[in-house]
Amino acid sequence: MTETWRVVDLEYPDDPFMNLAVEEAIPRAVGEGAAPPTVRFWHNSNTIVLGCFQSAQLEVNFDTCKEIGTEVVRRFTGGGAVYHDAGNLNYAISLPKGNPLVPTSDLQQVFRKLSEGSVQGLRRLGVNAEFLPINDISVGGLKVSGAAGSVKWGTVFHHGCILVASDLAVLGKVLNVPKAKLADKHVASVQKRVTTVRNELHRSVSTIEVRDSIIQGIQASYKVRLENGNLTGREMSLAKELYQSKYSRDEWNIEGRNEPVEVRTIASH
Amino acid sequence: MSSQALAADYKGPGGKLVRIRLTEDHGLISHVRITGDFFLIPEESLPKLEKMLEDTPIREPELRMLVDRFFRGTEAQALGITPDDIVKAILATKQETTT
Repeated sequence: MTETWRVVDLEYPDDPFMNLAVEEAIPRAVGEGAAPPTVRFWHNSNTIVLGCFQSAQLEVNFDTCKEIGTEVVRRFTGGGAVYHDAGNLNYAISLPKGNPLVPTSDLQQVFRKLSEGSVQGLRRLGVNAEFLPINDISVGGLKVSGAAGSVKWGTVFHHGCILVASDLAVLGKVLNVPKAKLADKHVASVQKRVTTVRNELHRSVSTIEVRDSIIQGIQASYKVRLENGNLTGREMSLAKELYQSKYSRDEWNIEGRNEPVEVRTIASH
Repeated sequence: MSSQALAADYKGPGGKLVRIRLTEDHGLISHVRITGDFFLIPEESLPKLEKMLEDTPIREPELRMLVDRFFRGTEAQALGITPDDIVKAILATKQETTT
């Protein structure tokens, strides 16, 4: 029997803190058995999303952020900082640990397997995309998508952002790129190492069009059926609690990292 | 001066960056923060490593022993960096000082 996964389009484009709270609530609920395997699509406007191990002080150009109103939020997964705007499509896949599609806890294998749907989706659009270890999707050597993920709470979790029609000029201004990071890339800026779906297709393309194509790519790659759905009551409760205790707070977004945040067990279902 | 702030950014063969900011006091690490764009699961294990490194001299044998002990003891999984990269990043603080 074909497995059915839920597709959730819940997003808060002007509240990146709530977006990231929902991003954590879903895998927690999936691991509890309180939600089905899920693919979420969402957008942020004008936001830097830091990896959980990064130092905001070292990575973020706060002066520029203040000038152009860029928010800074931290995700619960590792990896590098990304700049999100409305031209950037985010997707997240949460599967219960032990799902036969990804029977491993090896993070490199998780990235490889759970990038396949997006790679196929981009190829359907005509973008010559390929997975590039460790965690990128590239086109002709240029990065078009980065991913991060974890295996925790009984869930295999993978999320990525796809540069559809993002403003690459802003990307280079709001993030400080350490010299050591560029040392062997032979290029002088972030802007020159990345591309967008629009650049590759030489035409206007919406994030909705890319989302729809990735849904096709996921269904074909993993032999699953995707069905639109909403968050459960448990997930919304978790999201609100995570927003209050973690994602709306500077202690997490700016100063903190790593400190485990206790989520109270609230009446579920 | 008995106490000094040291820093290094180190990129290993895996391509991810390890950024070390530490305070050395009388030849021993008194505080260290390890940041960067690497992956480590469980994510909550990193402070344990930082704690283990306190009161250790910045010398390869001691650092290597502690980092190896951390990975063995916690069964933490790193991606994009290796235990060796962490050791080299800490050692690099003695070669460069960045802000």
